Amino acid sequence: MKYEVIIGLEIHIETKTNTKMFSSASSLFDAPANSNVSVVDMAFPGTLPTVNKKAVQNAIMLGHALNMEIDDELHFDRKNYFYSDLPKGYQITQQRRPIGSNGYLDIYVNDTKKRIRIERIHMEEDTAKQIHLGEVTLIDYNRAGNPLVELVTEPDLRSADEAMAFVEAVREIVTFLEISDGKMEEGSLRCDVNISLRPVGVSKFGNKVEIKNMNSISNIGKAIETEIKRQSELLDKGLEVESETRRYDDALKDTITMRKKDESVDYRYIPEGNILPISLSKEFIDTTIREMKELPSVKRERYFEEFKLNAHEVNILLQDKDLTSYFDEAARDVKNYKTLINWVIGEFSSYLNKEGKNAKSVALSPQNTSKLVNLIDNGTISNSQARELFAHIIETNEDPETKAKALNLMQVSDTDFILSVINEVINENLNVIDDIKAGKDRAMGFLVGQVMKKTKGKVNPALASKLMKQEIDKR
Amino acid sequence: MRYLGLTMTELHELYVSGKATPLDVVNEVIEALTKDKNNILEKTMYDEARSMAQSLTKVEKDNLLWGIPFLVKDNIAMKGIETTGSSNILNGFIPLCNAEVIDKLLAAKAIPVAKTTLDEFGMGGRGETGHKGITYNPYGKERTRIVGGSSSGSASGVASGYVPFAVGSDTGDSIRKPASFAGLVGFKPTWGEISRFGLFAFMPTLDHVGFFTRSVSEARVLFEKTRGYDKKDATSVMNVPSKTEKEATLKGKKVAVLEPIFALMKNKLLIKEFHNLVDKLRQAGAVVDFVPFDKDLLAAIFPTYFILSCAEANVSNACLTGIGFGNKEEGASYEEIVANTRGKGFSSRIKYRLMLGQYALKKENRNEYYDRAQKARRLIVEAVDKVLENYDVIMLPAAPNHAPTVDKQSEPHSEIENNFMAIANFGGNPSLTLPYFLDEGLPLGVNLTGKPFDDFNVLNIALKIEEITGLYNLHAGLKS
Repeated sequence: MKYEVIIGLEIHIETKTNTKMFSSASSLFDAPANSNVSVVDMAFPGTLPTVNKKAVQNAIMLGHALNMEIDDELHFDRKNYFYSDLPKGYQITQQRRPIGSNGYLDIYVNDTKKRIRIERIHMEEDTAKQIHLGEVTLIDYNRAGNPLVELVTEPDLRSADEAMAFVEAVREIVTFLEISDGKMEEGSLRCDVNISLRPVGVSKFGNKVEIKNMNSISNIGKAIETEIKRQSELLDKGLEVESETRRYDDALKDTITMRKKDESVDYRYIPEGNILPISLSKEFIDTTIREMKELPSVKRERYFEEFKLNAHEVNILLQDKDLTSYFDEAARDVKNYKTLINWVIGEFSSYLNKEGKNAKSVALSPQNTSKLVNLIDNGTISNSQARELFAHIIETNEDPETKAKALNLMQVSDTDFILSVINEVINENLNVIDDIKAGKDRAMGFLVGQVMKKTKGKVNPALASKLMKQEIDKR
Repeated sequence: MRYLGLTMTELHELYVSGKATPLDVVNEVIEALTKDKNNILEKTMYDEARSMAQSLTKVEKDNLLWGIPFLVKDNIAMKGIETTGSSNILNGFIPLCNAEVIDKLLAAKAIPVAKTTLDEFGMGGRGETGHKGITYNPYGKERTRIVGGSSSGSASGVASGYVPFAVGSDTGDSIRKPASFAGLVGFKPTWGEISRFGLFAFMPTLDHVGFFTRSVSEARVLFEKTRGYDKKDATSVMNVPSKTEKEATLKGKKVAVLEPIFALMKNKLLIKEFHNLVDKLRQAGAVVDFVPFDKDLLAAIFPTYFILSCAEANVSNACLTGIGFGNKEEGASYEEIVANTRGKGFSSRIKYRLMLGQYALKKENRNEYYDRAQKARRLIVEAVDKVLENYDVIMLPAAPNHAPTVDKQSEPHSEIENNFMAIANFGGNPSLTLPYFLDEGLPLGVNLTGKPFDDFNVLNIALKIEEITGLYNLHAGLKS
């Protein structure tokens, strides 16, 4: 039978702040274990939560990027359950009134645009990190209380590709807005998949399975494919798909039952009495939105319009936010964007990849990259000279022009000198001249090559070619 | 016994005139506390108190709190001092920071001498449920009467004359009821005026920090010293309304007596004395009206309070698992550790309340219990607000009788006349109890509840009532 796949996502995004969601402890959690913990994070009796303004701003920005309605009042609730990673015995979250609701995000799969509705985003706090060592469990409270935004989609996704495209688009947004690292491998972006199948044409939803524990976007795809296969096989046999929570096992490349959902957990939500509703002024919301970093979709549009880049170039650039920032800065002092983009996604990127660096961590400034590109563009240096020069200055950030002179890497444009070399070459290869005159153009290339060889590549090849032609014609 | 039983003002005069030092006083307080028979002490800090007293050498003439010893209810955190909330589950728990109210009192150079007993985590009205057993009232025959709760040790200590004031907390009437039984002024200001940071949570929107004193003016001093915005408490008031400096007078003040509650009073002497007080207020120029009040709402006060407070206590105390702190019991798994810690740590009365709370919040019950109670709370607050639209304060006997003996019924007792003061917690109103007569040597208090942020008006009216009754600086008399 043919089935329609129904997928909804719940994405937890760890947002960037200096301090925790409800305490003044540092939110840096890859510090030594239990070094960034306050009495509030430990839920010592008598301690009280206070709301992190930056976390609220992050959530507003994300909500705006996802075309959501932003609530002008903040309300918090307590979600009650016992677990060893939850110090308070409840999590402060936003159950009744999420900060953002009714949004959407357009995704592109195989060049087709699809609009995915987003039910809500709400703010909450993270749990402590547990490290299980055989019999012993260690708890690191550094992460406890860190700000999270949870995003919940409507069940609008229909395939693994769509789900992956959605997560990628969200990842792109949060990294470009600089509100999260968006790293699935490190847990700063976590995604749970709700998936069910129903026979094509049937309107009633099938039983829902939740899949957790995927640490990369490609694993989300794999988990969904595996799960689709598992569920279709069950349905084909006339069996029922059980509502349950499964986790994706990367080693087995399969999903495994975590717990059955015979009855959904009763979280006994109550309002958080220690935080009264906070009214967000229009001015606060507007200012936050105004100060947002450029969205990837806007950036993409700008690259097409302003710099006339092609889709291939734009896609490569947008995979790396730091690279786009580098490009944007370098582009200020460059006239030929084509040369710049070729350089940035070519030589520059391959260096970064090879060295495992990023555009932020290399010494060479965007300004000096502009200078380097301009040197190529006005014919002062050749491409191969540029590569040599680049190797010298990438980690020193020396001025390209000064360094090129010092390395004697400038192209020679002195016509008299070039002519003397050309005539030298012609005289040494008089037999070739006849070939050229007989129409063998390839021989022309050979002669110019000889000129380049004699000058160690310092002559502008176009100029050499032009002069060579003139000199041969004279003979 | 030269310094016991003195008020803050009297001690201050001794300090200013050089007739006594804080160390003299603290030494005498410690000596008296070691002989206490009413079971008021949780944890003493005598060494710390002595060394602080010793360090206070330059008297601050304008600071009435300078060098004044005081007691602290043991659900208020003090850095480095074991704080248990009178529960075994927190035996050995040592907070890492002070409650904001303690920081403010320390900044004013007042000297904390000991932590006092309470009903376990404030859940109780008789001072009988703390892990150290019953706390007794210094009034009446020795160790026969309760002092009320939950701020039992603080009330008993001030009524004994050991110290001029004590810090308490009030979620239903936990300062104002014992104040009545102990012949003290018990004041809980408007919710948000005094930071709750460091107060162990029972139900956040009902919890208040407040004080026991032996006079209204000293309650005012403490209020002024400890109020104000605290960035650690997101519910503390940022824009404190300017305080009224108008001279206290009863002329033109409007006092409402909720008639259906007063009608429940059976004690003949109380009825007589209350009318007597009403007459005197009228003579002094106040308007006193006996006003009607919806009886269904009155009947709803106790169930509303009990359901909400149990439900939220269930959540507020969910942090007590033994995992991150506290008196941890061993177990083979996380679940076992939590079950054992809570099973052994909480008394059965607390478990009873927490279970009720759990029940009231369960999906299938919450509509009927928690949600309905929240609605009832709103209706009660609206009805009280409506009365206070036309009156400065609501005045009622704080309790129907003097302190009961220990053998009487145990809680919960649900009579309206014993529980109505929770209305001031529902609405966060300023509310104050002060003594107005003695029945066979046992004090009874009258309660005043005002509009939120009208604290000074309430204090001013209380001050004038105190002048009328002449009952201030009461203590049970010190037995050596």
